[in-house]
Amino acid sequence: MVTVLRRSYTIDELFQLKPAAAPAELAVNFDAVEFCALVAKVKEIQAAREEEYMAHNGGRRRSSHHFAHTRPKVKHMKPKVKTDEDGWSTFEPKMPSETDLTEGNKQKSSDSLTAAQENVRVRPNNKNMGSSRPADAKDIIADKQILGFNAFAALESESESDNE
Amino acid sequence: MSVEEVTKKFEETVNVDGGEAASSGPKTVLSGEADFEVKHPLNTKWTLWYTKPPVDKSESWSDLLRPVTTFDTVEEFWAIFQNIPEPHELPLKSDYHVFRNDIRPEWEDEANSKGGKWSFQLKGRGADMDELWLRTLLAVIGETIDEEESEINGVVLSVRKGGNKFALWTKSESKEPLTKIGAKFKQVLKIEEEGFLEFYPHSTANDRHAHPSIIL
Repeated sequence: MVTVLRRSYTIDELFQLKPAAAPAELAVNFDAVEFCALVAKVKEIQAAREEEYMAHNGGRRRSSHHFAHTRPKVKHMKPKVKTDEDGWSTFEPKMPSETDLTEGNKQKSSDSLTAAQENVRVRPNNKNMGSSRPADAKDIIADKQILGFNAFAALESESESDNE
Repeated sequence: MSVEEVTKKFEETVNVDGGEAASSGPKTVLSGEADFEVKHPLNTKWTLWYTKPPVDKSESWSDLLRPVTTFDTVEEFWAIFQNIPEPHELPLKSDYHVFRNDIRPEWEDEANSKGGKWSFQLKGRGADMDELWLRTLLAVIGETIDEEESEINGVVLSVRKGGNKFALWTKSESKEPLTKIGAKFKQVLKIEEEGFLEFYPHSTANDRHAHPSIIL
C-alpha cells in the first residue's frame, strides 16, 4: 500500500527529506554515469580548445571591436636599388608607366626637361615665414631708400626762387 | 499526516546504513526493504533536460537539447540531484531545464507560447550558483513559489561566461500573479535591494534589444 500525500513543501521541509546516503547508493532511473561522462567529455573538449587558442594568440583575447579602431593599412612601394658590377648601389628613378607614354605625354615631358635646364632666378617668398627679416642680403639693399630728402638742398632752391 | 510525521515514519522505515537491505544490491531510499512504501509525492511530474554545448558545427538545437530523466517524488528528486554534476561543474554554454510534465523548454511549445520568463543574471561562478540553483529547484518543485499552482511551467539555469542566468518560465503574461511570483523568486535567489528581476514575454524572444515588461 502506497501512502499518497499531495501537497506543497517548503525549502526547509525538502532539505529535511534529503537522504544521508552517498549519491552512488541512490538509485536513479537513468544512466547517471553516462550523463556525467558526457558532461566531462564536453568540458575536456572546451578546455583543449581554450588551451589551443591561448597558445596561438599569446594568451590574450581581443574583442571583436578591435579592428574598428585601427588605421587603414597603406602599402608603400619600396624604392628599387640597382647594384652595378663595381658594387655601387643606386636608386632606380621612377619610370613612367606604359599608359603615360603616349605622344602628348612624351612632348610634355621633353618640354619640362628643357625648361628645367634654363637658369631661373627665383626670389624667395618670405611673406609666410615667421620672421620678417629678408632671407636674402640683396633684398636688404633693394629695400633701402636710395633717394633721400635733402633739406639743405631744398632750402637753397627756395631762396633762389625768392630772389628771382 | 504532517511532513514531520511522514519524515519520522520514513526514517524509521528506511535504514540505508545497514540491516537486511545491505545484502540485496545497492542501498537506496527508494528501493531497500520490501515493505518500504512511503514516498513524498510532488504535485506533478517534472522532467530534467540538458542542453549540451555544441562541439561540432553539424550539431543542431534538437541534437543538443535532450531530456535526461523524470521524477515525481521528493526522494527521486534528491537521488537525481545528487548524481548529476553541480552547476559549477558544467561546461560553459550548458543549460539545465526542469519543466513540468511533458512541456518542452522551448518558447514555441504550446504551454509556453503565451507566457514569458522572470530572468536574473548572477555574476561569477561557484558555491553561490550551486546553492541558488538548488533553492530555486526546491521552491519550484515544492510549489511554494507559486501559491496558485497554475503559472509556473519550469525553470532554467544557463551557464555562461558573462554571468549565469536563472529563468522562471510562466504560462502567461498576467501582471498581477507574475508580480507575486517575482517577489517570491527574489527571496529565493536572495536578491538584495540593488539587484533586480526582469520579466520578458516569449513574444519578444527574437528581439535582442527587447525591454522587460516588468521589473522588480
